[in-house]
Amino acid sequence: MKKTIFAGILSVSALTFAGCGSDDAANTAGEDGNFEPSKTIEVVAPAGSGGGWDTTAREVARVFGETEIIDENMTVINREGGGGAIGWAYVHGKEGDAHSMFVASPPLMFVPLNGQSEHGHEDFTPLANMIADYGAFAVREDSEFEDLNDLFDQMKDDPESVTVIGTSAPGSMDHMQFVRIAKAAGVDPTKIKYVSDQEGGALTAVLNGSVDVFSTGVGETIEQVRAGNIKVLGVTAEERMEGEVLSEFPTAIEQGIDESFVNWRGFFGPPGMDQAAVDYYEAKFQELSESEEFAEVREKYGWNEMYMGSEEYSEFLEGEKEEIAALLEEIGLGQ
Amino acid sequence: MDAFQGLLTGFQVALSLEGIMFVLIGVIVGTLIGMMPGLGPISAIAIMIPITYGMDPAPALVMMAGVYYGAVFGGSTSSILLNAPGISGTVATAFDGYPMAQQGKAGKALAIAAISSFIGGTVSVVLLMLLAPALSSVAISFGPPAYFALMFMGLTAISSLSEGSTIKAMIAAVAGFMVVTIGIDPQTGTQRFTFGNVNLFDGFDFLIIALGLFAVAEVCMLILNRKNRSLSDDQKLGSLKLSKADLKEMSGPVSRQSFVGFLLGVLPGAGATIASFISYIFEKRIAKNPEEFGKGSIKGLAAPESSNNAATSGAFVPLLSLGIPGSGTTAVMLGAFLVLGVQPGPLLMTDRPEIFWGIIASMYLGNVFLLILNLPLIPYLAKILSIPRPLLISLVIMFSLIGVYSISFNVFDLYMLLVFGALGFAMRIFSFPAPPFILAFILGGMMEQAFRQSMTISNGSLSIFVDSPLPLSLLLVALVSLLVPAFLKWRSNRLAYKQG
Amino acid sequence: MLASINRKLGLLIFIVAAIYLYLSFQLPNYQYAPIDADVIPKGLGILLLVLSVFLFFSRAVETDAEKAKRDIPKKELGVIAAVFAMIFVYILLFETIGFIITTSLFIFLCSWFLGYRAWKANILVSLLFPIVMYAIFVFALGIVLPRGILPF
Repeated sequence: MKKTIFAGILSVSALTFAGCGSDDAANTAGEDGNFEPSKTIEVVAPAGSGGGWDTTAREVARVFGETEIIDENMTVINREGGGGAIGWAYVHGKEGDAHSMFVASPPLMFVPLNGQSEHGHEDFTPLANMIADYGAFAVREDSEFEDLNDLFDQMKDDPESVTVIGTSAPGSMDHMQFVRIAKAAGVDPTKIKYVSDQEGGALTAVLNGSVDVFSTGVGETIEQVRAGNIKVLGVTAEERMEGEVLSEFPTAIEQGIDESFVNWRGFFGPPGMDQAAVDYYEAKFQELSESEEFAEVREKYGWNEMYMGSEEYSEFLEGEKEEIAALLEEIGLGQ
Repeated sequence: MDAFQGLLTGFQVALSLEGIMFVLIGVIVGTLIGMMPGLGPISAIAIMIPITYGMDPAPALVMMAGVYYGAVFGGSTSSILLNAPGISGTVATAFDGYPMAQQGKAGKALAIAAISSFIGGTVSVVLLMLLAPALSSVAISFGPPAYFALMFMGLTAISSLSEGSTIKAMIAAVAGFMVVTIGIDPQTGTQRFTFGNVNLFDGFDFLIIALGLFAVAEVCMLILNRKNRSLSDDQKLGSLKLSKADLKEMSGPVSRQSFVGFLLGVLPGAGATIASFISYIFEKRIAKNPEEFGKGSIKGLAAPESSNNAATSGAFVPLLSLGIPGSGTTAVMLGAFLVLGVQPGPLLMTDRPEIFWGIIASMYLGNVFLLILNLPLIPYLAKILSIPRPLLISLVIMFSLIGVYSISFNVFDLYMLLVFGALGFAMRIFSFPAPPFILAFILGGMMEQAFRQSMTISNGSLSIFVDSPLPLSLLLVALVSLLVPAFLKWRSNRLAYKQG
Repeated sequence: MLASINRKLGLLIFIVAAIYLYLSFQLPNYQYAPIDADVIPKGLGILLLVLSVFLFFSRAVETDAEKAKRDIPKKELGVIAAVFAMIFVYILLFETIGFIITTSLFIFLCSWFLGYRAWKANILVSLLFPIVMYAIFVFALGIVLPRGILPF
């Protein structure tokens, strides 16, 4: 056992050792137009340790290493702050660097649309999308609401009587996924009462009845549903999800509300990354996504497979952005 | 499975050779990381996560837990010796620990901190074991109105945190509150006082303020007194002998604050930092000789130290029994659980009793290890103070800078450390107390958010704070604690006036 | 003289409060919260204004201890300013030149400047401290410190 630990420490230090300082934007595209990384690849998690971005980045780097899909070392660094803006600015400064990338999800759209980052997804080079996660709307087990339509009917009758809580600030993910579904159900999006709790009190506030609805990711609800503390009125996925508890969650679409929301998670390179490098990473990410080892990772965290190559990813993002921007405009939060 | 049987299973995990070894590794790593300014339990746990890949979850999590409370245990060292808090939970430790060390009683101060931590840690593990399932309902009983009332109660204590001018104390508190308003407002997404600078969007990390106002400001004072002899000739420096009277003086605060700390730890969002402050204020309020606080009082050191360690175990209540992380540290801890394929939550106790009870049982062991490991180290640690002053000054500056850098890897924060250092020095020479500033910074932000959350929920009606018993009673306590001392002061002034 | 220090401080704080208050009034509106982002800052700004006025007119007599704290020779203030300037330069160069070199130089120069004349011990510490810290952080803890111009 001791040996494993020591080996662990060694490998961690080796990773970081090789990882420090890679400022020169070495572009190693060979003369034949093929790209091979020639030094440690730096993966930026624009958040602190332990969150969704950090976990995704670390698991991807780990599986890349263990399966030897990419031989070169990958090291994850955390650049926390501004809801991601500091990390994005950091990667943006590495223009053309083919050994640098970062992990992203919808906040890469929400934050710039809220006017809190100079950089949005269009400022970077999309490499590949890897996974999809979905939103869930949960209420306390003994709540009078039995499904989304109950909830939305109540909100149409008396919008002041329902409070929604989430972790992110208004205009960001937990808020907007709710607004998007509620609007499709005919609720006036400007009348939705939303409070944000970033200190970990959101679930608490639902459990003790201070607020009515918890807007969050499906993963956050599973354990509480199993324990019979809360019930999930609906999820934002297009189709029923698979899994022991997940398959019991009805989608909004099933309940006659024609709207969905994907919490996509993928990887982006700095602006101006060489096409050869983009092709290289695209292929490697695809291989990773199809590997058994990464399937295990997805299962462990309850993530869904959603691979998209660079071009498809770009188009998808454009469509998403338009829709979100229009919605933010409508509730007066667009900048 | 009942609790007793569960605990037996837990001890089987904890007392196996593997279990003992991982507890030991955890607490050693934790203490060492905790001793470094800036590196706290969050980085400690994050660092350990990759090492646990592929390990059995039970020993791995036992080790992680050891890292966590080990870091809180070790965090007091630099607070006491250098006035540079190792972690945010030990800022209050410096209030009396540092003066005590400066009086040549560094060994004693460290010993008091270690023993208080040990007792706080152990008492709270007993509470955790007996009450974890029952307390999970307490952990969720606080909604936004109750949090507002709790934070308000804490803020009313500002007057008791300072000597001298009440006006200056209040100015310091308002300034601390103002600093915490900088950044993106969570309720509206509005940028407040950021001047569009992305480095200010998240506001200031607590440790930047604490290291600036305490460590860097203290460096300035050390520079002024650099020609005084260092404490090297003092034979008692490393001595950790405690007299019977010392132990007796500790016993009251430790026994009370272990419970207070544990309860505050149970509440999501409160945690070790707030617990240590509230315990400090609590003891000062009820002390017969409150004027000794801040000048090396044994009570003033024992209270926050027992409390912050107790709060650490308390934080495991919502984590283990509800799957709710109550703080940044437990959020990272939750991440560690997930990496190992364990989902903490209401079902953990029945699904994975060996993990639930194994962690709890291992904490008994961990606290004993921490005490045994730390006491013999004290004489050597205390020697730090015999380093010649100019060199010590340079090293403290470096420690603070590395500490801040390792929080965010952002050079901007280093400049801010310098700014708050200058502010702290100015506050010292013009006699503005720093503790109210720090307290308002910690409580103010949470109080504002809880207030505004409540108002959104109630559609703008203040009655939400008096409609339910919990916030109402907390507000009444706050009111009483505010009015009674004011009344007493007014009466004594009047008597003095009549007599004079 | 006694009153004048409180007056000066009161005036300074009044100005700070006024600037803060001015900025609070510039905060944009958000239509969905009954208590908007500007309410608490405005309250704090007004409170600080009032407190600064109180301080200005405060009749409290400065105690001898308080006065002693303020009584710092100009030369010593210069020393502190110089140390702050050194820290500033350190931060400026920290990421480009790298942790080990800047830290070594800082410890040696700052200790020397403050009167530490045991130069052998000084050199030893200023070399060992950064190297040991760097080794602990980078190799044992996996926390990356700026490498700068050194090859490792």
